[in-house]
Amino acid sequence: MGKPKIKRKSTLIDMTAMSDVTVLLLTFFMLTSTFLAKEPATVITPSSVSEIKVPLSNLVTILVSGAEAKSDGSLNRDVEGKVFIGITGDVDSVYSSEKVRRDLLIEANRLYNERFPEAKVNFTADQVTAFSKLGMFGMPMKDLPAFLSLPTTEQDKIMKEFNPAKVGIPINDNRDLTKLNEFQIWMDAMQRIAQDYRNNGTLNGKGEPVDPNPRFFEAIKKTGEGIAVKGDKDTPYSVMHLVLDNLQTLKLNKFSLMTALKSENE
Amino acid sequence: MAQIEQSDKGGKKKKGAQKKMSIHVDFTPMVDMNMLLITFFMLCTTMIKSQTLQIALPSNEKLEQSQQNKTKQSEAVTLILDTERDDKGHVIMETDEATGATYPKHIVYYYEGKPFEGSFADNDVDNDNFIDADKLKLKEQRFRGNTNGEANGIRAILHQRNKDVLAKIDVLKKEWKEGTLASTKEANDSVFQARAREIRNDSTLTRPVVIIKAGPNASYEAVISALDEMQLNQISRYQIDNINATDSLLILSYLKTQGKL
Repeated sequence: MGKPKIKRKSTLIDMTAMSDVTVLLLTFFMLTSTFLAKEPATVITPSSVSEIKVPLSNLVTILVSGAEAKSDGSLNRDVEGKVFIGITGDVDSVYSSEKVRRDLLIEANRLYNERFPEAKVNFTADQVTAFSKLGMFGMPMKDLPAFLSLPTTEQDKIMKEFNPAKVGIPINDNRDLTKLNEFQIWMDAMQRIAQDYRNNGTLNGKGEPVDPNPRFFEAIKKTGEGIAVKGDKDTPYSVMHLVLDNLQTLKLNKFSLMTALKSENE
Repeated sequence: MAQIEQSDKGGKKKKGAQKKMSIHVDFTPMVDMNMLLITFFMLCTTMIKSQTLQIALPSNEKLEQSQQNKTKQSEAVTLILDTERDDKGHVIMETDEATGATYPKHIVYYYEGKPFEGSFADNDVDNDNFIDADKLKLKEQRFRGNTNGEANGIRAILHQRNKDVLAKIDVLKKEWKEGTLASTKEANDSVFQARAREIRNDSTLTRPVVIIKAGPNASYEAVISALDEMQLNQISRYQIDNINATDSLLILSYLKTQGKL
């Protein structure tokens, strides 16, 4: 018997179909994705059965950092309870995130200088522009101008270092409306500009007046959808309570707490 | 990468016949690149959007005594939350014996009506300044969810307290699922929402008023879990309150009766 001839097969595989599939998947991800926002502290939100979604526009996010594990396994409580604020503007391009942040900084700065006339802080036009690009901020007002003048990479470095003395908006348990702390100044400025947008509208890029926009005001004052408090699940409630109490003092007493979804049975 | 092959069979070539060309393009690098891009997008995106739990707290303005609403003692249920942590500060996890599932160790101390029989003025406080064990009405529960549709832990207690409302809502839910409340789906939903709200706020039913207090160690998660229980048990009247010295004394007295102190 002669040896059976082994047929030599080509090892070429047709990748066209595979390529089709991957391109489809890629398109799907590109269209459905919203990028993770850059946040100064990573928190794991607690789970809840509530199914209300976080709105995509007109949102003030208040991030409260949690304790971090140190190398020996114990928790570093110094970094706990640092407060950061993130602003998302309206879908209307005039009241964009950049515009709202810009107005917020100017208003908060005015209130700050009124409150602390002995330690006035001033911002240059470039610093205001730099602020309008920040997704989330958390600095004492006096350190903010220097921080905003730094290039983005340096800013990120400072946020990453997370020196408890340098980051976070100063907050205390003040309940007196004449002695607002810095966190309350920011939130009060937010209320004021939202009210101004509702009553008087604003000027667009060309300096022309634009129709008033009540959506921001309704989100933060009426429905409470516009203020989202985000905290870590293991943070003691007393730390979160301080932030909520500050909001209550400003009569912003309707707000939402950010949670992850869980089923009823858990 | 790409190659063009001539197919010649047996060498019998006819003059003038076109040569058959088959073109192979190797897509492997293309697929590689796509996979990399997909990985990038998968890692950088959030597929699940966060949910929110909406709450309304009272404003901090001081109220006159006359403006304050007093809760009837028979209706009041007070929950005092606590979370146990180890010496490094991490939340302790515990396993539920019945289901085998692990939960963070959130303890719910609760009492219905008054926390103990009698008052401080009578000699109900023993020599160590603790409340007598036989007078104390404080009990302990956990957040345990449902097993086979049956409420467990603190949920069972709250369920029992609000059973009139829950029974009515169950009937309504059945009608809503059958779609008999209204002709269109949207109208059916909105009628259900409105009727459910009416039932929750119906003052002719016996409904509890829940006061949630968080101890100094209680984690944010425990408070959210307590708020969840309010939503699941259709309790419309609840509030978050600050813990005070009496509450601490209650817990210490309770721990003493349990021999944990």
